[in-house]
Amino acid sequence: MIQVRGLTKDFGRVRAVDGLTFDVEPGTVTGFLGPNGAGKSTTMRMLLGLDRPTAGTATVGGRRYVELPAPMREVGALLDAAAMHPGRSGRTHLRIAARSNGIPMTRVDEVVERVGLGAAARRRIKGYSLGMRQRLGIATALLGDPPVLVFDEPVNGLDLEGVRWIRTLFRDCADEGRTVFVSSHLMSEVQLVADRVVIIGRGRLVADARVDEVLARGRHRVRVRSPRADELAAVIGGLADVVVSGVGELEVVGLNEAEVGDTAHRAGVPLHHLATVEESLEAAYWSLTQDEVEFRGSASDRAGEAS
Amino acid sequence: MRTVTVLARTVRAEWARLWTVRSTWVLVVALTLFVAGLGALAGYDAAGGEDAGYGGLSAWEGVRFVMLFLLFGLVALSCVAAASDYGTGGIVPTLQWTPRRGVLLAGRALVVAGVSVLLAVLLLTVAAALVAVQATGLGMSLCAGSSILGDAALVVGCGSLLGIGLGFLTRSTAGSLVSAIALLVVLPLVLGNLPYESLRTVAEYLPGTNAIYVVFGEGIGEDMTIASARSTLFAWAVGGMAAGGLRLLRTDATR
Repeated sequence: MIQVRGLTKDFGRVRAVDGLTFDVEPGTVTGFLGPNGAGKSTTMRMLLGLDRPTAGTATVGGRRYVELPAPMREVGALLDAAAMHPGRSGRTHLRIAARSNGIPMTRVDEVVERVGLGAAARRRIKGYSLGMRQRLGIATALLGDPPVLVFDEPVNGLDLEGVRWIRTLFRDCADEGRTVFVSSHLMSEVQLVADRVVIIGRGRLVADARVDEVLARGRHRVRVRSPRADELAAVIGGLADVVVSGVGELEVVGLNEAEVGDTAHRAGVPLHHLATVEESLEAAYWSLTQDEVEFRGSASDRAGEAS
Repeated sequence: MRTVTVLARTVRAEWARLWTVRSTWVLVVALTLFVAGLGALAGYDAAGGEDAGYGGLSAWEGVRFVMLFLLFGLVALSCVAAASDYGTGGIVPTLQWTPRRGVLLAGRALVVAGVSVLLAVLLLTVAAALVAVQATGLGMSLCAGSSILGDAALVVGCGSLLGIGLGFLTRSTAGSLVSAIALLVVLPLVLGNLPYESLRTVAEYLPGTNAIYVVFGEGIGEDMTIASARSTLFAWAVGGMAAGGLRLLRTDATR
C-alpha cells in the first residue's frame, strides 16, 4: 500500500506539489491523472526517494522507499524509459539491476520473455525504439516480483498491440493483489484500465475516488431525437438545460432518460431516439477542475480521517 | 538487512556497471598500450642511452615518471565512471535500485578507486619489467618496487577518489574532467610560475603539485615534505569525496 501524507515540493518559488494526501490500495489499478506539469512525476520521484519533499511523507508499506534494503523486491518502478545507458544491452541492464538487489539471474530471462523483448534483449539499448525501452523498463520493474508497481506514463511510445498488452498486464497484476499506480495524461487510456483515480491539478488534489464515482460527478447528458424537436425543447426548457445538437436532435442536462421520456409522453411528442450520453473521464476531469473543488470518494475519506 | 549486505550487492552491481561500458575498455586498453610504450622507451634509454643504468639503481626508478600518466588516465576513468550516469540519465534507475545514497557512494568508490589502484600497480610493474628486460644490469628489487608501487597506489588512489568526488559534485563528465585537469595540471603549472608569493602558496596545496612531489620528490615550496605532500593528497581525496557525497546525499537526484 502506498500512503502519501501532506506531500509538498517547492522548486525555488514554484510549488510543484502542494500538500497531497491519498492512498493507493492493493488489488487495484489506480490512475494518477493530471495535465502536463501538474506534479505527477515529481510526486512519483518523491515516492521513490529521488527528490526530497519540502514537507510531508510518501511511504510504501509504512516505510520510506530509501529505508527499503532490497527496494526492487518491494516496489517495481518505471519513471523514464530513456534513462538507461545506451551502450549496454537490455540483458546487461537487467543483470546489473538484479545484482544490486540480490535477485537471481534466472529472473532476467523470465521477465525478458514476459515483456516480449526476446532476442532484442541482447542488443544495445541505443538501437531500441521507445516502445522497446518501455518494455525493458517494465521488465526491470517486474524483476523483483514486487507487490507494488509504479509506472510514469507507461504507454508512451507503445504501439497498439503494446498498449493492449500493458492494459492486460496492469489488470493481471492488480488481480494478483498487487498495488498498481499508473500516471498518465491520457485520461481515455486510464479510464479503460483503472479502478480508482487520483486527479491532481497544479500540484493539488482534485479528486481521489473510484472511476465510476468520478464519472457520476460529471454533467450527465441525455440525447433525444424527435420530428417535433422544437416543441419538445419548449416543454423541457422549463425543467432543464436544453441544447440543440443537430437537426431534430437535443441534448438535455438536468434530467435523466426516464424523466425526458415521461415529459415527452405527457406532451404527446413522439421520440425516435433517447439515450444517456456516456460520460468520459476527460469530460469529468474538466468538469471537476472547472468547479475547483476537492472531491474525495469513500476510501480517501478514510485516509483523510486516518491522517 | 545489514548495511554490509547492501554494500556487497552494490559493489557487485558497480563492478558490472564499470566493465559493461565501452569507455572503460577503451581507456584501459589505451592506457596499457601507452604505458607499455613508455616502459619500452625507458628500457631502451636505460640499456644504452645517456642516463644508462640510472646510476646503478633498479628498473623501478626508470618508470617513476609513468606514475603521472597513470594518474591522469585513471583520474579520467574515475570521473567518467562517476559522472556518466548523469549524462545518460542512468542515475535514476541506479538510485531506484540503490536508494541508500551513502552506500552507493561507498560502493562506487570501492570499485572504481580499487580498480584504479590495481591497474596502476599492474601497469607500473609491466613498465618496470620492460625496462629490466632491456637493461639487463638493472634488477627489480623488491624494496624499491614496494616503495614505488606504494607511492603509485597512494597517488592514483587519492586521485581516483578526487575524480569520483568531482563526478558526483559536477554531475557532468566534461565538467569533472575539466575540473580534474585544472586541479592536477593547469593550476599548479600556471599559479606555480607566477611571480606572486600568495599564488605560489596556493599552488603548493593543489593536488597536482603534491602528486608531483610524491612522484619525484621535487616541488615548488621549500616547506614541502613527502609526508606533507602525501597528507595533502589524502586531504584532497577526502575533501573531493565529501563535496561529491554532500551533493549526492542532500539534493534531488537529477537537479
